[in-house]
Amino acid sequence: MGTILMSSTHTSTTTHTRTHTATFLSELVMGTIGDILAELGIDLTRLYRDWTQDQTAIKAWIDEGSLEMVVLECHRPDGSVTPIFEFPVSYEPGGRADKAFVESRASLARYRAKLDSVPSGTTYTLFCSYNGPHSEQVGWSPGRRSSTAGLDALSFGSLGQGPHAGVSLRYLR
Amino acid sequence: MKRHRKIAAAPQRSATESWRTITDLVRESVCRSKHISETDVEASLRDTDGIGRLLIGGGHLDKNPLTIVAADLHLCLTTVSGDGALSLDENLNPVSGAARAENWTVYLPTPDPLAKAVKEVAATNVHLSTEEPPDAVATGKSSSEAQLLDKEALAEWARSS
Repeated sequence: MGTILMSSTHTSTTTHTRTHTATFLSELVMGTIGDILAELGIDLTRLYRDWTQDQTAIKAWIDEGSLEMVVLECHRPDGSVTPIFEFPVSYEPGGRADKAFVESRASLARYRAKLDSVPSGTTYTLFCSYNGPHSEQVGWSPGRRSSTAGLDALSFGSLGQGPHAGVSLRYLR
Repeated sequence: MKRHRKIAAAPQRSATESWRTITDLVRESVCRSKHISETDVEASLRDTDGIGRLLIGGGHLDKNPLTIVAADLHLCLTTVSGDGALSLDENLNPVSGAARAENWTVYLPTPDPLAKAVKEVAATNVHLSTEEPPDAVATGKSSSEAQLLDKEALAEWARSS
């Protein structure tokens, strides 16, 4: 690998910061999913149970730069799938050492009151899409997300940013 | 006497790691009492694993403290997320005050939108509460002991400043 020619100090620092960015953003996504499910009154038992497994997978995919988007789908008892929340990830090639870890959770707090309520018995599914080859992660298998045709999209803006990547939130209903 | 400790969260630690750090600190502080079973404390804290990760991952514990009360132990715990987590000088040593305790309670914060979920968890265990924590307990210590405690508080303040 070409990076072997770099000084060990530089290589170490880059790896360190990228992993921090991945930890920061994966927790931001998981915490936001928790807040959304709690706001909608959707049962949190499975989120409690799978938290570590899901956070670890999302972190690994951000760390390797393969994660395009995390998708939270709400499945209603009548079979319809709405609302849907998309968490697209944007990457800073090479990273920016001058960028801090910034949270913008206030944007979600502002919009929480605008979320449509869901009926009792609504469940949720998480999907991840990729922008290239990605590693296998425990508990995750291939799947097909629901169509978003006919849904209106509303951008909630940036959720947070680290030196190597950022994540935003879109609401489809 | 009231103590306040700050625990590093993301990007320094995942929510799972941060919650484990918090529960270790609570267990080691509360279990200084011979009247309190470590097995019972571990089982009670295990009930909070899910909601604890949610409180940290959602950034709620940055602003809303978790409070542990056991005899003279009155410990407030908050997390630090973002840049501050990377430079935080943590003190993870057990906190004194619980040696004579016969009971203990973890007061969980109830921020929106997690209030209902936190209350559901708290309702399952007698050592968990969503009530307002009591004011710092009166120690009843002698003046020399109180002076020692003050020095400990001063050292903690100096470390966190």
